[in-house]
Amino acid sequence: MILDGLSLKFVRWASKRISVVGSGPSGFYTAYRLLNKSPDPIHVTLWEKLPVPYGLSRYGVAPDHPEVKNCEDTFAECAETFNQGKDGRKFSFIGGVTIGSDEIPLQQLLKQEDAVILAYGCQSSRALGIPGEDASGVFSSRDFVNWYNGHPGFANDKRFTEFDWSQVHRVGIIGHGNVALDITRVLMTNRVDEIWQPTDISRVAIDKLKQAPIQEVKMIARRDFIHSKFTNRELRELWEMERFGVRGKIDQKYFHPTLFNDDQLKDRPFKRRVEMCQEYSTPFDKRTKKNYKKHGPPPEERSHWVLDYLKTPLQTQTNDQGRVQSLQLCENELTPDNRVKQLPNSELNYNVDLLITSLGYKGQPMSEFKPLAVKWLGDRIANDRGRVLTTENEPIERLYAAGWIRRGSQGVIATTMEDSFQVADQVLHDLQNQQNLERIPPVDLSNIRHTTWQDWEKINQSELNKGKQMGRVRSKYLTEPEIYNYLSMNH
Amino acid sequence: HGHLTPPKPGEELKVTFILKDGSQRTYEVAEGDSLLDIAQANNLEMEGACGGSCACSTCHVIVDPDYFDALPESDDDENDMLDLAYGLTETSRLGCQIKMSKDIDGIRVALPAMTRNVNASDFD
Ligand SMILES: Cc1cc2nc3c(=O)[nH]c(=O)nc-3n(C[C@H](O)[C@H](O)[C@H](O)COP(=O)(O)OP(=O)(O)OC[C@H]3O[C@@H](n4cnc5c(N)ncnc54)[C@H](O)[C@@H]3O)c2cc1C
Ligand code: FES
Repeated sequence: MILDGLSLKFVRWASKRISVVGSGPSGFYTAYRLLNKSPDPIHVTLWEKLPVPYGLSRYGVAPDHPEVKNCEDTFAECAETFNQGKDGRKFSFIGGVTIGSDEIPLQQLLKQEDAVILAYGCQSSRALGIPGEDASGVFSSRDFVNWYNGHPGFANDKRFTEFDWSQVHRVGIIGHGNVALDITRVLMTNRVDEIWQPTDISRVAIDKLKQAPIQEVKMIARRDFIHSKFTNRELRELWEMERFGVRGKIDQKYFHPTLFNDDQLKDRPFKRRVEMCQEYSTPFDKRTKKNYKKHGPPPEERSHWVLDYLKTPLQTQTNDQGRVQSLQLCENELTPDNRVKQLPNSELNYNVDLLITSLGYKGQPMSEFKPLAVKWLGDRIANDRGRVLTTENEPIERLYAAGWIRRGSQGVIATTMEDSFQVADQVLHDLQNQQNLERIPPVDLSNIRHTTWQDWEKINQSELNKGKQMGRVRSKYLTEPEIYNYLSMNH
Repeated sequence: HGHLTPPKPGEELKVTFILKDGSQRTYEVAEGDSLLDIAQANNLEMEGACGGSCACSTCHVIVDPDYFDALPESDDDENDMLDLAYGLTETSRLGCQIKMSKDIDGIRVALPAMTRNVNASDFD
């Protein structure tokens, strides 16, 4: 600590105190904006449940998309700039503590801070709610992604590590978002070492995944092609896997350029998606544009993925070891007002050895929302421009929400960033008009195990060094005990 | 943020940014600098969240139609990211993908404001 006792006291007393809960992109971008834009002295504390920062940038974004994680450079630079205090602006990171727990109730922060911003993301999964969803070999996308990204709560999860991957030939994925596409890419290139070797994918996971002789991944949607939620960049990556002999298929029933009208094709991303699917479905030498030939003629098909439409999963069947072996579905039709209608007597079965439900991450309310009368909208916090609302739709003073917990689990990092900037600007605006708070002393952390930014810098350096020795960008610590052990040995 | 090589005397290229509040900034820069580098070196509000790797769309700019055709065409990767940009226009590009060259000397670009759709009339 560079500041001496006296000046530290002064900073504490004179500056506004703000707590941000969660250190994913939304929490970090909020902190960054507050620190860079506040006209007054300010102390921003960023709280994180895990001992390490960055949320879904570290544990969601696919390991073969390292450029997406470059936002972490901005976050680290921000932390380094303000960690010791600069021009009356100070940043603190406190990892390994859960806000809203007995250890540190949210109400404690509300009593000690001028503003509290909830940026804790979506901490569970939307479920299908069908019989057999709990069978062995049925996983939610969130659990699966956490596993291969080495999340400490999942990296050694026995549901994955004791699963027999050598039996996985056919995979079903329910959902058509980018997460479903990420998972398809990981599964279908599981044996392409040149992709995964340099990345920070969990070694435990990739060693297991490699055992799977995957023939087919079927992505199943309730609606039709036009309603798929993935973006063109991710879809293009799937098509481009043809260079490894991984081909894509869409039944003509669901995709044919003549199925869409001029109005629909006015939408730029959609028009580009149609062109992409049409070109890549055409044999290599018949493609009209050169950008669909950039990797040269593809080798023969080794495996394939399918975009499948207008089906609703009904239940899974298991073998006598309780392992998923097939999925029963029915066909759907879309009504003119765009509702999904299940067709009678249209049942069918897909054989699957692995089923992943990718219906979105789901926000969880904190238990203190009841006493605080926070309005909960099923999977996110009710708010007005970031100000958290009560069940009576009144803003709760000094309490805000940002990122996925504010908007639901959708939006790329750029969207999350814009959202966080808006909320931070709202907070700064409100602080100017807010009465000074009679603050209680901040929570005493001396008896609470936690990590600091300096701790993270050590962990980070150690992960980078371990990675370097293996020719990888990083080798993550996979459990909390490993992290705390390393820290206690490297004081 | 942003390290630019100063242009050699006599080889300066001009670029003008139209900021979200409508004010303009003109800089003299060297060939090869990207609009993202230039904006960041001058503390303009352009995030560049992915550090210029064409993976985030936070460096979206709207190019003055008079200069648009002089730019090398955008590739699929850039177009895929532009699909996700706020307030996309006919002359939208990613700042990290535009490198200064003699062909676009004098280029003018606007930074899109989230709350408002910028259009060609902003260049009048
Ligand atoms: C699988 C997947 C892949 C993605 N790929 C991309 C991509 O390629 N490109 C892209 O632009 N975007 C991608 N995204 C989207 C991007 O990750 C999100 O936009 C962004 O992470 C949302 O940020 P957030 O801060 O709201 O939530 P999160 O990133 O989830 O952060 C929330 C943080 O809060 C912490 N936390 C939770 N509860 C508490 C508590 N009680 N106290 C303290 N801390 C708490 C969590 O541990 C976590 O660190 C992807 C998302 C997923 C799920
Ligand atoms: S900086 Fe990310 S796309 Fe240009």
